[in-house]
Amino acid sequence: MAGEGSKFDVVIIGAGHNGLAAAATLGKKGKRVLVLERSGAIGGLATSYEISDGLPISRHAHLAYNLNPTVIAELGLSGKLSMRPLATIMLSDDARHVEIDGETIRFADGSAHPDGEAYKEIRNRIKKFAGLLAPLALRSPPDPGGGLSLAGAGEAMPLAALALKLRLMGKKDMRDFLRIVLSNIYDLALDDLPDGPLAGNLAADAVWGAWAGPRSPGTVFSLMYRYGCGGAPLLPQGGMGAVAGAFAAAARQAGAEIRTGVSARRVLIANDAVTGIETDKGEKISAGAVMSSAGAVQSMMLAGAEHFDVEAVRRIRNVRSKGMTAKVNILLKRAPDIPGLSKEQMAGRLIAAPTAIYVERAFTQAKYGEMPAAPIIEAVIPTLADGGDRHAVSAIVHYIPRNLKGGWDDAARARLTGLTIDTLARYWPDLRDNVERVDAFSPADIENETAAPGGHWHHAELSIDQLLTVRPVNQLSRYAFAVRGFYLCGASAHPGGDVSGAAGRNSALQLLNDGVLA
Amino acid sequence: MMKAQTPRSVTRTLAPTPFHDRLAELNFLNSWRGWNGFLSAEVFECSEKEYFAIRNQATLMDISPMCKYRICGPDATRIVNRLIVRDIRKVKVGRVAYAMWCDEEGMTIDDGTIFRLGEDEYLLLCAKHMYLWLHECAWGFDAAITDETEALCALSLQGPTAFSVLKAAGLEGAASMKPFDTREIEPGLRISRTGYTGDLGYELFTAPENAHSLWDRLWSAGRQWGICPTGMEALNLARLETGFLAPGVDFQPVHLALRRGRGRTPFELGFGRLVDFDKGHFNGRRALLEHKARGPRYHLVRLDIEGKEPAANAYVYHNGSKVVGHVTSAAWSPTAKRNIAFAELEAPYGGAVRDGLFAEIFIYKEGAWLKRNKKAKVVDEPFYRNARARQTPPNAF
Repeated sequence: MAGEGSKFDVVIIGAGHNGLAAAATLGKKGKRVLVLERSGAIGGLATSYEISDGLPISRHAHLAYNLNPTVIAELGLSGKLSMRPLATIMLSDDARHVEIDGETIRFADGSAHPDGEAYKEIRNRIKKFAGLLAPLALRSPPDPGGGLSLAGAGEAMPLAALALKLRLMGKKDMRDFLRIVLSNIYDLALDDLPDGPLAGNLAADAVWGAWAGPRSPGTVFSLMYRYGCGGAPLLPQGGMGAVAGAFAAAARQAGAEIRTGVSARRVLIANDAVTGIETDKGEKISAGAVMSSAGAVQSMMLAGAEHFDVEAVRRIRNVRSKGMTAKVNILLKRAPDIPGLSKEQMAGRLIAAPTAIYVERAFTQAKYGEMPAAPIIEAVIPTLADGGDRHAVSAIVHYIPRNLKGGWDDAARARLTGLTIDTLARYWPDLRDNVERVDAFSPADIENETAAPGGHWHHAELSIDQLLTVRPVNQLSRYAFAVRGFYLCGASAHPGGDVSGAAGRNSALQLLNDGVLA
Repeated sequence: MMKAQTPRSVTRTLAPTPFHDRLAELNFLNSWRGWNGFLSAEVFECSEKEYFAIRNQATLMDISPMCKYRICGPDATRIVNRLIVRDIRKVKVGRVAYAMWCDEEGMTIDDGTIFRLGEDEYLLLCAKHMYLWLHECAWGFDAAITDETEALCALSLQGPTAFSVLKAAGLEGAASMKPFDTREIEPGLRISRTGYTGDLGYELFTAPENAHSLWDRLWSAGRQWGICPTGMEALNLARLETGFLAPGVDFQPVHLALRRGRGRTPFELGFGRLVDFDKGHFNGRRALLEHKARGPRYHLVRLDIEGKEPAANAYVYHNGSKVVGHVTSAAWSPTAKRNIAFAELEAPYGGAVRDGLFAEIFIYKEGAWLKRNKKAKVVDEPFYRNARARQTPPNAF
């Protein structure tokens, strides 16, 4: 361990996957990088723990579906990761579950689904548009103040390319894109589908993590975002901790040092430029740049609000990040048995969102700070694929508000546990007697454990007013965060949340490009 | 921490100030205008008489409608320094400082005076409402910000005999006050040696319930010193002569501009010397550094224009053909005996290029408009400056 006064080029706050992606990217360019992680474990929202001896399970996030292929290639992660694509099972309380496996849409018993073609048509249209938007994720947002200079034109290239590609799709598709991009998934889905499991699938996949219901404007866009890398859900072997582990290995391989159990007390600044950081233990570490993968407000406060212009402070403190997602892990006594599903199907991505209106109703209650009568759930039983005889369920329970009326305490957490089991038991009655232990993580717990603002898994709502040139806020979208040498590198920056690695990687490249370290 | 103030009842017409009864008795023309929602005298009897009283006697003006904010608490100094472009730490307790403040793009929001009442206590006086902006500035800091616009009423006592009036009113303690000094001269009565006229003068602040007694005290003490009430019209001429800017007239306060590009930096307003880049971050600092490096886009300058017809609203030309700016304020200066103006010119005019400027003046004469192109000279010094205004202790007149 380097001692007092040790000199690094860059100190990165937070060993979430984005912080690690930034560290690996910088390390590969020969920069000396130190990553500080306040908790004892690396990974942030992507960690695993043992729910029972020798039985690892994802603590918070559990599926990777947006891991950016460019990031994987640049950091050499493919050899370090073992991930399995999952079919999606839309649970139905009459055991007529619907299976979505790529282009195959059918009932779980193998019979054809009458709406399969209509569903695919909608989904593939959104995927196609998502593919157009995807390149934007790997560039810093254009500089709106850049004007019409040659350099400014270079900055706007990705947008110009997007406009060109839209045009080349032909008039019909372009019009369609412009018509739907800001609209809501509920109307789009129900234009062509009856409300049922397939509409419920589109509705649910558009809102995971979001403080938005399927009828909220912009949810078509959030579905495009989810489909940015194809949208196939991947289950990492060993849980999400393995994904973070791969990022950490890449960072270490690139020469970065990672210290856990150390947090940043404040960013040190002299003459409007970063000089290093002070840790919670009082150690001062000098560095030419500091990158923060914490949320926008926390990062600002680490530097001190006085270093930010008044308008910037106002914008930053008004960033919307109201967490809506809880995590419930259930250790089972025996192998699961869900009526109507084969063992292979049970190993898929199980979704409790039987209709789009069900999803909207859950949001309606949650947005007023209430626990919904019936939340939407994305559950996986990762142990089924591994062939062992011990099993556990990893469940993302959505529309569990961070700002719950009455606040979060043990009683509220017990209600969350009961609600999760009740909801799953509609489709899986045997579950009630099969529970050995439950670990429930409320949005408040997730906030405490990972420092994600509001427990929000995107760190800031992924809505059209908080994206691209206005993520996290207007004028601070290009990773540089007010003070020279201070950078945002986490999910609160472009392109946003999900375990994609793009924010950290882009931020590192922007830092190098800005010449701060020269 | 910051506390919300109790909402007050809404006045549906212009509100009388605490001095209104006294002013109304003297306002022979019944000539009023609105000022921040208050009734303010435009002229009492004759603006020339009021102007000459500013320069030769003593005048009283009700400045209660000025916006007044108290910033008080452990972080008050940091908040003020975050707000304004100059370094308030260099202003001692008991002193008053002229200040400008900017938005994040370095564009001037407003100007005003800041009274340092204590180590951690300030009173900000300005033309425009700043309550919300001050709270924005104070987010994350520990200080209370209160709007004292109505909790404090104020009179401006200006003119060469201003000190004699104070003395006759039993306030001779002000003798030792230097320009920009402030003190609580009696319990509940604050005085500062400040003003907007460029002459010897004081401003007095007290609670509204003491308004009448303060007015009567100064009024009766001032009779032998030629005291005269003044309105906005006379003040406007005096402030122009002495080179004070009027927000909304000589520059567009950026928060009140809807169009982009209408804001101006302190450099462009001629107050670059106030900008202290060494004091740490303040609002707009990074943008102002860039503006300083790039140079000003405009120059707000004083013009001395030939002839005697005021060049109000005139375009300013360079070499007779190219419009390079416009006049923002103009008047014939009776004291300087010059035809004076503030004008905003596009750089480099008014900066590196100062010759060949003309004002295009339109004059209405007996039913017809006459056009005159008059030579305009850029001058650096105020048109009016008087040593007696700065002398301590002041002379009797």
